[in-house]
Amino acid sequence: MLKYNNMRHRELPLSKDSSNLFLKVMISIAVFLFAVTLAGVLSINSMLVNWNTSILGSLTVQIIPINGVDKLKAKNETLIQQEKAVAMLEAMPEVQKVTPLSDGQLERLLKPWLGDDVDLSSLPMPRLIDVKIKKGEEINFLVLAEKLAAVAPQASLDNHKLWLNKLINFAGGLKILALSVLLLVIGITSGAIFYSTQTSLGLHKDIIEILHLLGAKDTYIAQQYAAKTSILGLIGGLIGVAFALPTIFIIAHLAQQIEGGIINEAHLSWGAWLTILSLPLFSMLIAMQTAYYTVKRTLEKMM
Amino acid sequence: MSSEPIIKMENVCIRYGRGPEILSNVNLSLEKGSFHYLTGKSGAGKTSLLSMMYLAQKPSRGNVNVFGKNVNFANRNALAMFRRRIGVVFQDFRLLEHCSAFDNVALPLRVCGMNEKEIKKRVNELLKWVEIDRSTSAITSTLSGGEKQRVAIARAVINRPDVLLADEPTGNVDNDIAPKLMKLFIELNKLGTTVVIATHNENLIKEFQYPTIHLKNHGLTIINPEDGDKYAEI
Repeated sequence: MLKYNNMRHRELPLSKDSSNLFLKVMISIAVFLFAVTLAGVLSINSMLVNWNTSILGSLTVQIIPINGVDKLKAKNETLIQQEKAVAMLEAMPEVQKVTPLSDGQLERLLKPWLGDDVDLSSLPMPRLIDVKIKKGEEINFLVLAEKLAAVAPQASLDNHKLWLNKLINFAGGLKILALSVLLLVIGITSGAIFYSTQTSLGLHKDIIEILHLLGAKDTYIAQQYAAKTSILGLIGGLIGVAFALPTIFIIAHLAQQIEGGIINEAHLSWGAWLTILSLPLFSMLIAMQTAYYTVKRTLEKMM
Repeated sequence: MSSEPIIKMENVCIRYGRGPEILSNVNLSLEKGSFHYLTGKSGAGKTSLLSMMYLAQKPSRGNVNVFGKNVNFANRNALAMFRRRIGVVFQDFRLLEHCSAFDNVALPLRVCGMNEKEIKKRVNELLKWVEIDRSTSAITSTLSGGEKQRVAIARAVINRPDVLLADEPTGNVDNDIAPKLMKLFIELNKLGTTVVIATHNENLIKEFQYPTIHLKNHGLTIINPEDGDKYAEI
């Protein structure tokens, strides 16, 4: 878009415009906000990928034993609910295999906690059902829990996965919010460049008129604005990223102090860092394009 | 001589806002390679007529054809291309005051995308000819009125235009340089450039005799040197 000649010879004294400082500061702040928010979005993304991987593939359904004086009747009732739950799960298209754990398998699972001396048959034993999910399929755990409760009131899903599912939904919402902030930042910055360029066109209208009378096309003038504004975009972007990097490190450091390891799963890949570091180029391009098309559109209204 | 006039006006009127018509039903046809003076009292509409010729404004009414095209229907890019073929010396010079004399004269060539080597050669040559060679790098705002006028003339002729329109081009220059500038215009005219010079300078009109477009009572008349007394009364 920019010709070498035009970049060397600028008839419009744009470097003396008073709005340059405002634009530079505005772009710096915008890029700073953009970089920090983008780091947040990319971290949430990596966290979501990790969480999704952990809840994909399998799940465990537990049938809590029914308490009653008649232990045999209570055990049978529990087994009936297990059968209903198994039938319901097998009917689901997302499910690959449903395996109810046998008494022997349950005993082997409990022995490390209860020891060899305890007679497990005298205790109310929960039933466990191992469910394998087809590759690439996803299950909404909240909906599944409701369906299970309808057929087997004693059934419960693995609590951790249910909680994680809620967290994934929350993180997904947070991600959309952050992406909206990014769009807002781009919109506000473009708006500031638009109005600043229009003000500048008004200031230099005499020179622009002379250029037109000497045969300059609108693109000749637009290129000068694009060249000047792209430099402001680049400088503003570099300043913004320079402030954003330590901020991201501080936030990451603080997040790592939180117990539980949930936030630890959020980390930025090399690609993410590269994206953040390339923001000055991105702000340069946005500034250049916005100025160029603002000039073109504004000049079209002149003779 | 081409049969198509290079500038043709048909029933052209100009008015500003709701004011009276400055020019009414003007008809004018300028052939390629012609040379005309444009005269008339202050406020007669000389600058308005010229500004229509260099496509700074459209008529309030009527048609203006430049290079065979009706400018009322020309798009912005087409207008820019027409303007590149028209050299203009403005009464108030309209130079870029923050640029050097060199950059001002180079401007029409840069607008056309000419390479810098060729621009340097052409501009320096012309600035030397109009005797600005000592201050080519000086910021235009520091030049005298006469120097600015010569820079403005150099800018108008640098790309060897098809049409040269000059509004009082000798108004600020010394008596000894005015004939030299006139000779430049005449030389360009001999090379095929159509020239229109708006002037009040009677000496110039008498010394270099050419047909005159005389504006009076919102209209115009063409007076030729052969018209004798009428020409002398301009």
